[in-house]
Amino acid sequence: MLFLVAAGLQLVFGVQKILNLACGSFYALGAYAGVSAVRAALAAGLPAPLFFPVLLGAGLALAVIGPAIERLLRPIYDRDESFQLLLTFALVLMFEDVIRFVWGTAPHQLGNVYLTYGQVRVGALTVPTYNLVVIACGAAIAAGMGWFLARTRFGRIVRATAENREMAEAMGVDMARVYSRVFTLGVALGTVGGALVIPATAAVNEMGIDLIVEAFAVVVIGGLGSMRGAFAGALIVGVVKAVAIATWPEVEMLAIYVIVIAVLVLRPAGLFARATA
Amino acid sequence: MRCTRRHFLKLSAAGAAAAALPLDVAPVLAQSGPVRLGILVAKAGVLAPVGESGLRGVQFATDRINGAGGILGRKLELVIEEESSPKDTVERFRKLALQHKVDAVSGAISTGVGLALGPAAEEMKTIWLSWDATTQKGVEESMPKPKYSFRSTDNECEAVMASILTARHWKGRFKTVAGINPDYSYGRDNWAAFLAIMKKYGIEAQVVSELWPKLGATDFTSHVATLAQARPDLIFSCFWAGDTPIFMKQAHAAGLTRSTKLVLTTGGGVHESLKKDFTPEGALLGYNCFYFENTKASALAREFTRWHHDKFKEWPNYESDHGYFTVAAFKAAVERAARAGGGKWPTQDAIIQALEGVEAESLSGPRRYREDHIMEATFFQGFTTHKNKHDFVTIDPVESMGTKQIQKPSGVGLYDWINGWKV
Repeated sequence: MLFLVAAGLQLVFGVQKILNLACGSFYALGAYAGVSAVRAALAAGLPAPLFFPVLLGAGLALAVIGPAIERLLRPIYDRDESFQLLLTFALVLMFEDVIRFVWGTAPHQLGNVYLTYGQVRVGALTVPTYNLVVIACGAAIAAGMGWFLARTRFGRIVRATAENREMAEAMGVDMARVYSRVFTLGVALGTVGGALVIPATAAVNEMGIDLIVEAFAVVVIGGLGSMRGAFAGALIVGVVKAVAIATWPEVEMLAIYVIVIAVLVLRPAGLFARATA
Repeated sequence: MRCTRRHFLKLSAAGAAAAALPLDVAPVLAQSGPVRLGILVAKAGVLAPVGESGLRGVQFATDRINGAGGILGRKLELVIEEESSPKDTVERFRKLALQHKVDAVSGAISTGVGLALGPAAEEMKTIWLSWDATTQKGVEESMPKPKYSFRSTDNECEAVMASILTARHWKGRFKTVAGINPDYSYGRDNWAAFLAIMKKYGIEAQVVSELWPKLGATDFTSHVATLAQARPDLIFSCFWAGDTPIFMKQAHAAGLTRSTKLVLTTGGGVHESLKKDFTPEGALLGYNCFYFENTKASALAREFTRWHHDKFKEWPNYESDHGYFTVAAFKAAVERAARAGGGKWPTQDAIIQALEGVEAESLSGPRRYREDHIMEATFFQGFTTHKNKHDFVTIDPVESMGTKQIQKPSGVGLYDWINGWKV
């Protein structure tokens, strides 16, 4: 999940050079939309095992807000990062209120669709099959993104834009359109992430803000703007957290930031940053 | 005109009302306009649902009081401000006191905010009736002998009651325990109180895991995996917000809820989210001071529960009761002071004096403020059951304990008090 949000952050930063704090809000919105969509679908008589495509669909459908928000961000493309942080943080606060207005303050959740697919025993542990489905889905999206960026025409344009905007523009690339699409893709990664995580947890308003902090740790570790970095960073943060909780729960957060600091000191650009990025 | 029966009834009702009037009308002449009560309510973050619940209790109390003619004939008016960070909340407290000139402030849930509001209330000389916001550490230091602050029940009451019930029902039936509690004073104090009480009851349980996820965390998969490996006989948790259903769901998915005994001191605060699908029967669950399906509930509690469910399509929780009580206690104190002062609207000092030891009917039964400005209430806990008409768990039977039993008395440290128990 962390990977999806971090990947969205990376994509948007890589291409548009915008540090988008609102990616956390997209995650939260995706979660809420996922709850509502599955609830509605189940109420309409959809068999429970089909909830997964509904979640995925809800996450993707929500990405329609992408172009409108991208339009809002246009004035700050060429301005100082602090403006970007301020504006996107304002968006975070506004989305928080939107969620409160639409869904209220109580946590929302989906009864027990979590265990619809059953559980698997791995050694001494019982793991819900759904977790494996999500992991597979994350891996598939990572592979899909890799293929999309490396092999498709639009992917090449995106990479070219990330590399050198003026040159790409000079070559006839319609910047406004590329930005709008890339941003929407970034939004979709966040909303899908939020929607997929919901069976295992509950949608709460502050989930967005929580995730932003971790997503930034992932990005710093992986290197800003690098998709492979997002993947590796998310893995590192996830594993470090799990190990810390199992061995020394007090240092859960500390451990992540020790790594962040180590990366910043030793490889300030991140583990996977390219020299040109 | 013929005097019909209806006419006669009307006349006698008017006569009775007129007879009751002199007591209530006199103060209106002395002090006119509405009584203003400032409300500080959390609207964002983890605290938002709790704040909302407290506000509903306050609104219910206000509607009832105004419907019955107000306080000594004066209508009660609410001025609602937001509880957020300690600094901003203190600013809003000042605003309520200086700009809105409120007669008292009711509200605040977060202990961090409470620690800042205590001194502010003393400085502004404004009565503050806290809903919650009172864990052990720090409160005594920052409000040693408050004049204007009136505190809630100790936050550890729930842990103390749950620990006593654990010892009573499960002594000798568990050897290892694990704790998963939010990483701030509330979580830490509750866990420490639990361990101290286990020791007091001669239960030598080995602690196999102590986990401290941060407040508001939404993912416990790593914690659950750690707990699954530690295989405790009993898990103690004072989760009280959205963390409770998330933890239960993930614990259930990992097979942790099948044989492990569960003590959830405060999960009843989000009872509707504890679905039967993933919350087992037989877990010890605490509802703080209000249980919506208490068979022994008063007429007032039943009326409130109905009102709440009709209006919000939800079953109420404890914070409403805290909120309700602060308003009811304020009214009772004003009337008590007025009685002592010959029916005039009392001075602030007289109201404060009357608040000390004041008793008022609340949603959970009679409640009072101790002379040291701390609330007394009744707490409700019990073992979860699936035998009900809801899709979430309830408790049966319902156990209740008063703060006289589970709250440390005035001027004594929590652990000194526990160590002094005779069990």
